[in-house]
Amino acid sequence: MTTDVLRAPRPMARPLRRISDKSGLDTAAGHVLMVLLSILCLFPVYWMLASSLRPANAMFETSLWPTSMSLDNYRQALEAIPIGRMLVNTLVFSVVSTAFQLLTGLLAAFAFARWTFALDKLVYSAVALTWLVPFQVVMIPNYLLIAQMGLLDSIVALILPNLVSALAILLLAQAMRSFPREVIEAARMDGARNWRILWEVMVPNLRGTIASLAILIFISTWNEYFWPLLLSRTAENSVIQIGIQMFMTAEGNQWGPLMAASTLASLPVLVIYVVLQRQVVQSFMKSGIR
Amino acid sequence: MRKRTFLGLAVAAVLGAAGTTGAAHAEMAAEITKPVTITFYNYNLATASAGADATREMIAKFEQENPLIKVKTVGVPSNDIITRLQADMAAGMQPDVAQLVFRDLIYLASDLGAQPLEDLAGPKGYAALTDGLIPRGVDLGKINGKTYGLAYTFSTPILYYNADLFRKAGLDPETPPKTWAEVKTAAEAIVAKTGVDGFFPGAYGPTDGTFVYQAILMSNGGKVRDGNTLTFADKNGIEAVQMLRDMVDSGAHARLDPANPQEAFAAGRLGMYLYTSALQNSLSKSADGKWELRVTGMPAFGTKPTAPTNSGSALYAFSQDPVKQRAAYELMKFLTSDYGYTIITSKIGYLPLRLNIVDDPKLLGPWTATHPLIRPNLEQLSRLTPNVAFPGPNYRQAEAMMKEAVSEAVLGPNDVVKALSEAQANAQALMP
Repeated sequence: MTTDVLRAPRPMARPLRRISDKSGLDTAAGHVLMVLLSILCLFPVYWMLASSLRPANAMFETSLWPTSMSLDNYRQALEAIPIGRMLVNTLVFSVVSTAFQLLTGLLAAFAFARWTFALDKLVYSAVALTWLVPFQVVMIPNYLLIAQMGLLDSIVALILPNLVSALAILLLAQAMRSFPREVIEAARMDGARNWRILWEVMVPNLRGTIASLAILIFISTWNEYFWPLLLSRTAENSVIQIGIQMFMTAEGNQWGPLMAASTLASLPVLVIYVVLQRQVVQSFMKSGIR
Repeated sequence: MRKRTFLGLAVAAVLGAAGTTGAAHAEMAAEITKPVTITFYNYNLATASAGADATREMIAKFEQENPLIKVKTVGVPSNDIITRLQADMAAGMQPDVAQLVFRDLIYLASDLGAQPLEDLAGPKGYAALTDGLIPRGVDLGKINGKTYGLAYTFSTPILYYNADLFRKAGLDPETPPKTWAEVKTAAEAIVAKTGVDGFFPGAYGPTDGTFVYQAILMSNGGKVRDGNTLTFADKNGIEAVQMLRDMVDSGAHARLDPANPQEAFAAGRLGMYLYTSALQNSLSKSADGKWELRVTGMPAFGTKPTAPTNSGSALYAFSQDPVKQRAAYELMKFLTSDYGYTIITSKIGYLPLRLNIVDDPKLLGPWTATHPLIRPNLEQLSRLTPNVAFPGPNYRQAEAMMKEAVSEAVLGPNDVVKALSEAQANAQALMP
């Protein structure tokens, strides 16, 4: 009897162990997959760094570790283009554009989501339609306007057409429409008016959406090429994407300095990400939970 | 490409509406008596290269020698300079001088108001500008007998080869291939004995233009067009492309990514590479201490003489004001002078269009003595054949259709005759 009792749980234990083994295997497989994906993501960055240290005659070696290393490419890159100035320009362009697009997006989205006004649906559709028009279509008219304003070759001119974004308005309006009505009503009963409801109720609760949108806008502005290319007339007033492109010439591409400039260009974004990593991840997680 | 084409059309429409492109062919002022500033659009200055440094050096010397003339430079990448030019013209800010590629020649003259230099400078001024330049070089920028573009930085297709791979394949690097049949034999030997690729021309990539293809086609007696009628799918054109396709089928012609065969050659993984002589400095740096770079003329079809065409750029004058026209003329004359070509050849790597400087000890002589690889380029200048630009507002699309068809015919699965004939029929609809 006792034996039976003692033996009884054994058949139960086997499947449990199997489940546990399987789970362990799944976890290990998951980890292996994640490690492989991480290597896949990080390898181009590593290759950029390694190539930036290779001399010209070793640029196309396929060894993982450079057989000879030098900082000469960095010296050449720093001497050839005003990298510091270009990075500052790019940062100002990206930060100001992101801030304005979020601000105008929040205000417009609030109006579309919370208010009913004459032709509101038509205006909303018009905003949505502008999103479908590629920037290249409006680039020349924008350029002519900027030229008439005498703003060519300036950061202000880079930023001006990027103050408002249809994507930001549409995305935020959608998020605000799905915002719990009860919370807004409760705030209204507490005496909050629209301005306070937007900034003290909605914005803190939409941090996830806003953070992901800010990252999207920042990265797309940081990588902007065509508009700065058309607008800038001197390297000092240009952005880093133009600077990197300057190492690609009809007389052959200078891969070493190009990789060095690319490494230096990616550093600020990397630093920002490392500093804000926790907040970014938290914002995404909160957004996902909601 | 499509984006750029669209942008070009958009700006052309704006220009047309604004009516900004009028051709005022008045003669320039006799002299400059007061300070004047001219704008110079230059694609070398849009790079962080020896080309930019050399251009700045030349302009600084020009301003020093012409204290009344100030040159305001604007650097724009070569592939985007025509769009910028159009946009600035629409905005009423046309440059006085611009460095532009030859493919835009007809459009620049017919639609963007490039000035014929004979009218701008008068007979004496024109002679002072072009005397001493090789006549075939001057012809490159002519339309109907008038010079709209003054050849500036300029190169021809040459055959680069890896002498180490030749030796490994049992070939003699001292006797490089002279004909396409010899290229095929050598490439097959390289593939068989060294395991790397044999041959590739820089003719199919997005930034290659059509000058290498046109050089091959014209070396077989073909032409891309006859007036406004496209002829690249004629018998000689088909033969030339079929020759490349046969090399692909035999394995002699590599199947590389057309966007970057240069990297494969620089890495020592390609035996022969047909492309612009402007790459010589860059390839020399890549080969330094690793493998031996050598150069020979472009291959011929049997005993037919080759027809090396030009890549590179010309200088165009757009000034309307007589004083600025004079300043533009002086700048163009200076940049294409003996001194100008000494700097252009020795510091950027393009060909000198003034052959008197090549062995002159006070000019290019010392450089030529230490850079013998330039000799095959110079030898080709006697057969220099103008790259053919396409006419009409759709010139870029028509040229792109031809290039895509060649690429498809050589590297794709389709029949050569079918690919070229269909493309010719389709592109013909875009011709004026």
